[in-house]
Formats: sequence, C-alpha cells, structure tokens
Amino acid sequence: MKTAAQPFLLSMLSALCSVTGAADSAAANGQAAVDTSRWLCELCRFEDGLSGTLELGGGNVSDSSSKFGEYNGLDDEGGFVIGDGAARYRGAGGAYLNVDASNLWLDTRSLAAEGGQQGKYSLFLNYDEIPHFVSDSAETPFIGNGGASLTLPAGFPAGTTALMPLASTLRPVDLETKRQELGVGAAWTAVRAWEYAANFRHQTRDGTQGTTGAFFVNASQLVAPVDYDTDEIDASASYASAKLQAKFAYYGSKFRNNNASLTWQNPFSVPAFPDAVGGQLALPPDNEFHQISASAGYQFADRTRATADVAYGRMTQDDAFLAPTLNTTLAVPALPRVSLDGRANILNANVELNSAVTDRLRLKATYTHNDRDNRTPRAVYDWVSTDMFLASPRANLPYGFTQDKFKLRADYKTSANVRTSVGFDHDSNARTFQGVNTTDESTIWGTVTSRFLDKVDMTLKVAHGDRGNPGYQPVATIVPPENPLLGRYNMAARTRDSAELRADIAATDKMSIGLQIDASEDEYSDSTIGLTSGRELNFGGDIAVTLSEQTNLHFFANRQVIKSEQAGSQTFSTADWSGENEDTIDLAGIGLRHVAIKDKLDIGADYTVSRSSSEISVNTPAGGSAFPDLSTSLDSLKLYATYRMKENLSLRAGYWYERYDSKNWMLDGVAHDTIPNVLTFGEQSPRYRVHVITMSVRYSF
Amino acid sequence: MKINKPSFAALLLSSCIVFGVAAVAQAQDASAPPATGQGTEYSEKGADTCLMCHTESWPYPIFPIFKTKHANRADTRTPFAGLQCEACHGPGARHATTGSKDATNSFKETSFLSVGQRNQACLDCHQGNAHIGWIGSTHEINNLACTSCHKLHAEHDPVLAKATQSEVCYKCHARERADFNKSSTHPVRFGLITCSECHSPHGSNAAAMLAKPTVNQTCYTCHAEKRGPFLWEHAPVAEDCTLCHSPHGSARPSLLSKTPPSLCQQCHAVAGHPSVAYTSTALPGGGGGGAAFLLAGGCINCHSQVHGSNHPSGVKLMR
Repeated sequence: MKTAAQPFLLSMLSALCSVTGAADSAAANGQAAVDTSRWLCELCRFEDGLSGTLELGGGNVSDSSSKFGEYNGLDDEGGFVIGDGAARYRGAGGAYLNVDASNLWLDTRSLAAEGGQQGKYSLFLNYDEIPHFVSDSAETPFIGNGGASLTLPAGFPAGTTALMPLASTLRPVDLETKRQELGVGAAWTAVRAWEYAANFRHQTRDGTQGTTGAFFVNASQLVAPVDYDTDEIDASASYASAKLQAKFAYYGSKFRNNNASLTWQNPFSVPAFPDAVGGQLALPPDNEFHQISASAGYQFADRTRATADVAYGRMTQDDAFLAPTLNTTLAVPALPRVSLDGRANILNANVELNSAVTDRLRLKATYTHNDRDNRTPRAVYDWVSTDMFLASPRANLPYGFTQDKFKLRADYKTSANVRTSVGFDHDSNARTFQGVNTTDESTIWGTVTSRFLDKVDMTLKVAHGDRGNPGYQPVATIVPPENPLLGRYNMAARTRDSAELRADIAATDKMSIGLQIDASEDEYSDSTIGLTSGRELNFGGDIAVTLSEQTNLHFFANRQVIKSEQAGSQTFSTADWSGENEDTIDLAGIGLRHVAIKDKLDIGADYTVSRSSSEISVNTPAGGSAFPDLSTSLDSLKLYATYRMKENLSLRAGYWYERYDSKNWMLDGVAHDTIPNVLTFGEQSPRYRVHVITMSVRYSF
Repeated sequence: MKINKPSFAALLLSSCIVFGVAAVAQAQDASAPPATGQGTEYSEKGADTCLMCHTESWPYPIFPIFKTKHANRADTRTPFAGLQCEACHGPGARHATTGSKDATNSFKETSFLSVGQRNQACLDCHQGNAHIGWIGSTHEINNLACTSCHKLHAEHDPVLAKATQSEVCYKCHARERADFNKSSTHPVRFGLITCSECHSPHGSNAAAMLAKPTVNQTCYTCHAEKRGPFLWEHAPVAEDCTLCHSPHGSARPSLLSKTPPSLCQQCHAVAGHPSVAYTSTALPGGGGGGAAFLLAGGCINCHSQVHGSNHPSGVKLMR
C-alpha cells in the first residue's frame, strides 16, 4: 500500500485542479448598502465598566477517602473554604478583561484571565491544578519514599516476605500527584484576514506513584518519585478569506524529569546471587517534540471544498544511559553508546475533497498518511538480567509505523425526509520489526437517516470490515520466539461487523426522548492463540421533560456489555486453554431543576447510580476456573439551592452524598506477605461513604 | 474485502473523475443560490426595532448577548458593530410588521432554514482557524447546527465552560457519559478537563476528530513522559495508547481495557510463564501456584516499565 500513497496524493491534487477549473464564476451575491443612520441601539443594554461576582463560604467533608477525592481535592475529612470569583470589565475602544477564579482554597484551584482590545489583540493567563489521589491504603517498609533512593531498615533482606520484619517496619504512604499548569499567551489581529497567536504553557507534576522492581522472580512494589516539568509552545498564523483559509503553526514540547532513576535495596536474599543487593529503574527520560504544520481550506465553488493539512515533527530523546547494573561483581562490556540519540520523524498529511454534487448528492473523499519514521540508531547491547547475571546481547528495535488511509463516502437525499449514505474505507498499515509487516483493512458501511411525522429522527448504520495480513514472520532478534500461532489483535486478520440504531423523538413540545443501541462483533478467525473474538453491546436512553415553566426533569440510563475470548498454549503449540472476559456496566441518573419561588429560590437535584461487574474465567483441560467478579458500585446524590436575598446577593447551599464500593481480587485479601516472592503495598479495594455540605454567599457587582 | 493495488488505484482515479464531474456540474448549477431568508428589507431602527417586542421579559432570554463578544461594538467584525440583530437574523422589516416567524432567520430546530443555511450565518465570519475543517466534518455531515451546541445569547456559553461542556456533548454522546462515570477515568466528571482538550468538535482530519493528528500525539500533550523514543520500546505503546487503555473510562484500574494477565496474554505467548493459564486457584487460600503472576499488579509486578525503558538492561521492561 505504501507505494500507492504518492500516486494517490498526485491524483487528489489533479482532482483539485479539475475542480479549480470549474470553480464557481457566479458574481458575488452582493448586499445592497443598508441605511443604518437611525440604528442607534438605544434599547441595547451594553454593559461597560466593571462587573462580576464573588462567592465565599465553607463546607465540610465527613470522611477521608483518596478515591472520593481522587480528582476533586476533597480527600481529607473536615472543613474547607469555598472561594470563587469572576470579574468582567468593558472599556472604551473595545478594551476588555475577563477573570474567572474557582476553587481557590482547594487542590483543584484555577484562574483564567483574558484581556485586551477585542478585534485587535488579546492576552491570556491561565493557571490550574489537578490533583490525583491514587491510594491511601498503601504501606511499605522502604525508607526515602518520594525520593530517588529507597533503603530498608534493619532486618532485611530475607528469603521470603513471610520472613521479613514487616510488622515493625511497615509505614503508610500516600500515592498521589498534583499537576499544576501555568499558561500565558497572546493573539493579535494585524489586519482583518490574519490572526497571529502564541502561547506558552509550563506544567509541573509532582508527587509519588507506584511502581515495581524485581530481581528475577522476587519483586517489590515501590514508591517512585514524580517530579516532571513540561514546557509547551504553540505559535500560529491564520488567514481567512471567503474562499481560502489557512493556518501555519509550530508546536514544541519539552519534557524534563528531575529524577533519572529510582534505586532500591533488594529486600530478598537469594543465596545464588548474594551480590544482587540493589537495583535501579530508569525513570522516564527527558525528551522533546517539535512540529511545524500547515493546513488550508479552499472553497472552489459554492458547494465544493477541499482541505489539506500537513504536519512534520521530530521526537528526540538523548538522556545519558544509566549503568547496566549496580552489581559491582559483574563485568559488563562497555555499552555501544553513552546515550540513545533517539529520534523519530513524524509526518501526518491529509487531503479531503467534499462536494455537494447536486442538491441531493454529496461526495467526500479523504486520504490520510501518518508515518512514524524511527531513526533511532540500532546497536547491540550487553545487558544484565535484573542485576543478577549477564544475558545474551540484544539489539534494540526502533519501531516504525506507516498508515495510509483512504475514505470515500456518498450521501444521497432520497426524499425530503430520508437520507442514505454509503462509504468505503481502506486502511493500510506497515510496521517495522514486528511479526506482521503489513495489514490491510477494508470497511464498507451504510447509513439511513429518516424523519417521521416531523417528530422522530431515526438513524440506522451498519458496517462490515475485513482485515488481512500476509502472515506471521518471527522477528529474528527476539528470543525466546513467540508462538507462531499467536495473532496480536492489532495486526491479526479480523472481521468486524457493527450496527447502530438511534432514535431522537420529540414526543411533545415539552418532552424529548433519545434512544440508542449499538453492537459490534470482532472475529479473529486466523488467531489460534491470543484474542479470538470480541463483542460489545451498548444501549440506553435519555428523556428530557419540561414539566412546567418552573420545572425541568432529565433522566438517562445506559447498559454496556463487553465480551471477549482468548486462547493460550502452555505447551508452546496449539491452544490448550481459553479465557473469557465479560464486563457489564450500568448507569442511570435523574436530574431535576425547579424554580420554587420565581426570582427568589431555585433548587435542584442530581442522582446517579453506576454499577459494573467484570467476570473472568480461565478454562484449562483440568476444568474451568471462574474468578470472583471485579465490581464497582457508585451512588451519587447532589442537592443544591440558591436563594436570592437581594438583587445582588444570594445564599447557596449544597449537599453531596456518595457511596462507593469496589471488589478486586487482585488486591482484596492480599497482604504484604501473601505472595512469598512479591512484597506488596497491601492495598485494598477502595470504598467510602462521604457526606459533603456546603454553604456560601454570592455577591454580584 | 481485501483489495489489491490496481483496484485501489482504479478506485482513486474514479473518485477523482467523479469529483471533477461534480465540480463541473456544480459550476453550471451555481446560478441558483439558495435563499437565506424570507425577509428582504431591513428594519427601520435595527436592534431598537427588535427590542420593542423582544424585551427582557421575553421567554427566551435575549439580553445576555450584550455581555458577550458579539456585542462589542468597538470590534468592527461583530454583529453589533454592523447590522446588529439582523446581521445574523437577516432583514427583519417584514417580521417586525407582521410578526411572522418565517419572515426572519430563526436558528431554532423548527426554522424554515436548512441547517446548512443556518450555519452559513456563522461561517460567514467563523470560517478560519479551528473551523477550517468544519465542512465535511462528522458533525457537519450529520446535520448538526452551530446552535445545536452553542448558545449565542447566553452570557456564558455552556459548551465553552469546563464544568458544563461535557453535558452538552452527552446530549448525543450518551455512551461517553456512561464511560466518564466509570471508576477509572479522566476527570471530566469533575469539570477539570473537557472533551475539547482531546477532540476538535469543529472537525479535524484525525480519527475520532482528535485535536492532534494521532491518538498518541494527543495523549502526549498531558503524558509527555510516555513519548520517548525509548531504547527498549513496547511496540503497541509506541503505536497506539488505546490498544491497552480505554481513554473515556474503564471499570478496571488505570483505564485498562482488561486486567493483567489476561490483557498481556492476548499478545504474549512465548514458552514459559507468559503462556501459563493462571487460574483462580492462585487466589489467597486457593492452594495453587502463580500468585505472583496474578495478584497485586499481575505481570506488572516484574515488568513495570510497560511504557518503555531507557535502561541499558531494560530489555524485558524490568529496569
């Protein structure tokens, strides 16, 4: 397929030329001058000067839970301060300033400011924080958590976890990160058709996250430091006229990790390898990405338009390599390089033609080319297996990917209320250093959209896709080799069938109903080992009702079922075991908005119920083995009210209750020493019941 | 379904011919542009004419528009620096005198204007920058009006605010609402990130209308530490994050589409521990072996560097 890409691009461009030749020559539909001398806009309520709102109050969280506060910052029980504000200024000559601040006393605080002279220039300042509380039930005997070096107290190492002095050494440790981002930017409209913009964002992410380190078959869950800085720049020049729109842009991203590695002391003693006393994990290396892009849209005629864009970028990474091992007794040959000099060139190109051929028929063709040309130098590396012994040298595999995708669709308006669409997509992918070099997938699809009685819109879509490949070829340098009967699901031959039915019903002037059901089925018929099939069913509905001028009600419900089957071979031959996964996720909710006292009291409520269960079974010749269900259960109730005491003063109150339960056999009942050769955090599935009450005063000026 | 190169080339050529013919046919048809409204004469006093009836007590709130950018008269591009209400709603003299709803451009779903005609009122000004790809985008082809998502008269358009944007999207994307209520998800439910941070609702040439050309480039805008290139790459990670993760949400931790070791064993079946059937007998109290491959992190207990390693000894993603 790769060889067809360039001829196709030329074909598309020649088509562009033919369209250009036929471009609309009709005279511009000019508008006669309008006499606006009496258009004084005296009744218009333009608001100049300063206005805004301030909100101040407090709240209380009944219980501590990192899962409840995972992203909302309310992880600790106790009181908190509510502080929000917004200010708006309009001055002469288009001068303006908007400032919005929210959650100022929480870990989710944000500030956004924009000002300037509208139509000429604008300046931006943004700051926000996103916390991520991952776990508050982890415990570890390691010392130095949050830093780059973990040591152990006296009593370590030991042969198994059961022999470790855990009772006296375990200490709780929170796994959490916080993202902070500061952005500044400017946009400038030099002349009406051109706009220039530039913005710079500095993002930090600090905290801790869980990882693991292993010495052959003995592993430990570890706390890794997170101390990242990322700088991003966007700069662009945009042009827009009636026929031609274009944008030229630069995007740069520079990532820095202030910790190159995490070293840890081995808590396990292995008599055969007495010198494997410490290990070192490479943490994500510094890297950069720079990309220039150009995009354009051209209106060849009233109803024919072409767009094209191309982006070319380069990823680089050249952090100094760590030592192959901390084991000083091993003589490791010198590395072939001191750093990777990793680089990959990224090309993304796209051409699209779109034409309403007649009032009834519309055609669209799209060609997309994506390429990750990995130019990272290859070399053979002598390496050490988990700081214990020298392994067979291995050459790195700088993976490259090329995708060529062509899509053609036609939309035909069969009648005033019926539209039929058909399409054909062809997706060709080439990969380097992988067992399957190329895949080709063709998909045909059709859609019928129909309107009945001016009240019901229905859409039915069906699609069939077929993916093939030339067969599996082992990658010579990968040892041990993969089972040749394995079909990796992103490259394996596959048929995919899907269907979707959607109905939007305007039942009455005051009630709208949306219903949707969709299903898909994947079959990997050539895969003896690996994923062999996947099925998904999703259905749900929404109802919005205006009960009265004061009351609105909204209800929604959804069920999703995801199934898959896979097979394995314990004997490195044909399949001798199978596995089945089935996830069922239900969601239902109701929302109410009610004006209890007009211009005085608004109240509302939202109640959401979510349930999920995941069934897993592994079937061997010895019999079936069903695991306990993985499950989650969330009930969330929010009540809120706003009472206007004066024109510019409101009292706001809220109550939020959440109940969450989860079960996960990977964690539940797994203590630090349950697995003899894995020292775990002893984390348990999160569950909580939390009540939050809030009260605040809002002042408008 | 599999097509060969000659067939593919023929398909391309035919598509180009079809488009060429389409453009020629269209040029001949261009003499009859669609009507943009039924009124032809502008009102006597512009907005003052309109606001005589459309007062602050009008059921549909009109006046918040004066707090929006569209009402900044110093910006000569805005409606209120020009034809005021009639810049978008069209000549309104007939509507003002007759009260006929069909005598002025309405942007409601019941409008006599087609969606395309309604959208053209917006595109006359908003056709550049992020809107270059609107024509032909999934949303445009599926007949969405600008006003399906945007509220032009509101002081704060809900689809432009972090806290409320997702609810606008959920009106059609109900499945995504279910996803973002799952236990493992990005913090859209809490209003900390928006759909439009990853997707371009006005159209993009990437799959799923992504904001960046590929899935991974989109993910790297927040997860730059995963970008590499690494010395030892994990091929599916470098190719497409969604091969293992469900970005809208999952019932399983870390937005994973499956739980290890099942997830990993879909692609790894070499002789030895990767190909072993780990059963529930390895659970605590089950009496069987293999707990280290199943419990806590499963495969991740040892192969923690699944996103790639730059350690010289990270061949097996264990350093």
